[in-house]
Amino acid sequence: MLTDREIISTLDMLKNEHLDVRAVTLGVNLLDCAGSDLNHVRRRIAERVMGLAGKLVPVCERVGQKYGIPVVNKRIAVSPIAVVGAALSPADLVEIARTLDAAAREVHVDFIGGFSALVEKGLARGDRSLIAAIPEALAATERVCASVNVASTRAGINLDAVLLLGRTIKRAAELTADRDGAACTKLCVFANIPEDIPFMAGAYLGIGEADAVINVGVSGPGVVKNAIDRALSTRPNLDLGSLSELIKKTAYKVTRVGELIGREVAEQLGISFGVVDLSLAPTPNVGDSVGEIFQSLGLLAIGVPGTTAALALLNDAVKKGGAFASSRVGGLSGAFIPVSEDLNISEAVRNGHLCLEKLEAITSVCSVGLDMVAIPGDTSPETISAIIADEMAIGVINNKTTAARLIPVPGKAAGDHAYFGGLMGQSTILPVNNGRGDNPFIRRGGFIPAPIHSLKN
Amino acid sequence: MNKAILSILGRDRPGIVAAVARVLFEQGCNIENVSQTMLQSEFAGIFIVSLPHGLTVETLHEALFKRLSVVGLHVHTKPCEPPEAPGAAKPSEPFVITTRGPDRKGLVADMSQVIAGYGGNITNLQAVFKGGNDPGDNLMIYEVDVPLTIDAQALARDLQAKAETLHLDINIQHRHIFETLHRI
Repeated sequence: MLTDREIISTLDMLKNEHLDVRAVTLGVNLLDCAGSDLNHVRRRIAERVMGLAGKLVPVCERVGQKYGIPVVNKRIAVSPIAVVGAALSPADLVEIARTLDAAAREVHVDFIGGFSALVEKGLARGDRSLIAAIPEALAATERVCASVNVASTRAGINLDAVLLLGRTIKRAAELTADRDGAACTKLCVFANIPEDIPFMAGAYLGIGEADAVINVGVSGPGVVKNAIDRALSTRPNLDLGSLSELIKKTAYKVTRVGELIGREVAEQLGISFGVVDLSLAPTPNVGDSVGEIFQSLGLLAIGVPGTTAALALLNDAVKKGGAFASSRVGGLSGAFIPVSEDLNISEAVRNGHLCLEKLEAITSVCSVGLDMVAIPGDTSPETISAIIADEMAIGVINNKTTAARLIPVPGKAAGDHAYFGGLMGQSTILPVNNGRGDNPFIRRGGFIPAPIHSLKN
Repeated sequence: MNKAILSILGRDRPGIVAAVARVLFEQGCNIENVSQTMLQSEFAGIFIVSLPHGLTVETLHEALFKRLSVVGLHVHTKPCEPPEAPGAAKPSEPFVITTRGPDRKGLVADMSQVIAGYGGNITNLQAVFKGGNDPGDNLMIYEVDVPLTIDAQALARDLQAKAETLHLDINIQHRHIFETLHRI
């Protein structure tokens, strides 16, 4: 018999605290669709994606309804297209992107990730073609997401690739100048990219994965914030150790929900279950913000002194709760701080509490990196590359994932407003130190070697 | 072995369970299951007991009535039928239906009628009506076994529609979600 407390607290999490399953992502292996005949590759990709994903949305709806937990986003992640389309030209790869976009639309998923390349140790032919295709592919499609892994703790940082990405990001922004450079919101540059992220824009299906897999992204910043607020309303002097314990327990509950839903979706689709990624991922809705958690913990806003310590506590507690709840935890699992996607964080930027340098500092203790950061449109490609290189260094040296999703907003300056719409949100544009200045360091290119602690064997 | 089921009702006070159990012990009965609860200030207890050879349900009832009626407790006793053979029950899935909303007469009658119409079996019902319009003060929790053979979505639709006419906020969820969230 269930107790009324168990039932009421569940209903509160659902009704008032935005408990949901943020993303069910179907991984689709396309490696055997490779070839040199564009039309053949396109046809095989379309058949494979639509064949496997045809029932994804209705099954997610049905399972969500059964448990009363909405599955907000249904998505697809495919094998890295730089591998699948290694024999194709950049123009051909843009056509592949259109094929992916059409397939995603056909099966009613809002994003399809995997227009990706893994280049941390060098750029192969397919990687160069893919990176060359990224600006047009992202500008010409609505749902395709791209990612490039340019660094890893084992390989170091491929600065040639970082330089290339700086120019790629500028070009993608220019091609979508009428939409504040929105193409860049679908492009992530990574260090130590996980192979099983269910969240966009970084989702792709790793080379080591099976034919198909279901990965689940659970979120719940609202649930965590409310748990903190509730506890502090009865015990205002609660110390940080106790708050960490509280966040851990809350993360446990949220992860359990994700695993229950994910396993049932996987079972009904006849596909194996992969991982739960427990990440506090905000949306531009009031009450669904990571930034608000900092205020509940007692900070004026995200960005003021104390922020890094608070995020370290939060990220750690979330991971521990997740690890206890499920033996299949993967992806990024931690806290996201995407500036434009979180009303509270973009407000902190507008009020001058959060600058690019503080954002970079806190990425050393969060699960991603410089995410959805709008910068002035006249920032030079070298400076963009330099920002990416800094972010990659944090990931490589600290043996963690970091990513950069930067949007140089064409024709706009620091302090102006950038609007991307929908889940991508809006933000005040952050100033960049030496944004237009020369940067001979970055132009040297080559590799920054792997750190000494990569020599583990 | 014969079994009996007895229900005991009365104003709650210390010593009710002790009084009932004492009579049962004296009559040589073995208590197999007990469920007791309190609603406001009233005690309600249900006992399933196995009877010793030679003791009839009527004799047991008389013994209980004699000792308990004088202290204001109502006793009802009847033979307990053997459980259905395994597999006889229809396969079903456990759902939890929760409603919150303003109190009025007929809420339980209306909601349970929809559930019964689909062959749903209410296995547990908790309802609190404190009156007024605070939704948290007026709560019904039905645990229902919903047969696999029925259209669960149609049941959900009908319940939603009924709840809407009663101005109730309704949730229909598989029981697993509550266990998953709160129990290790």
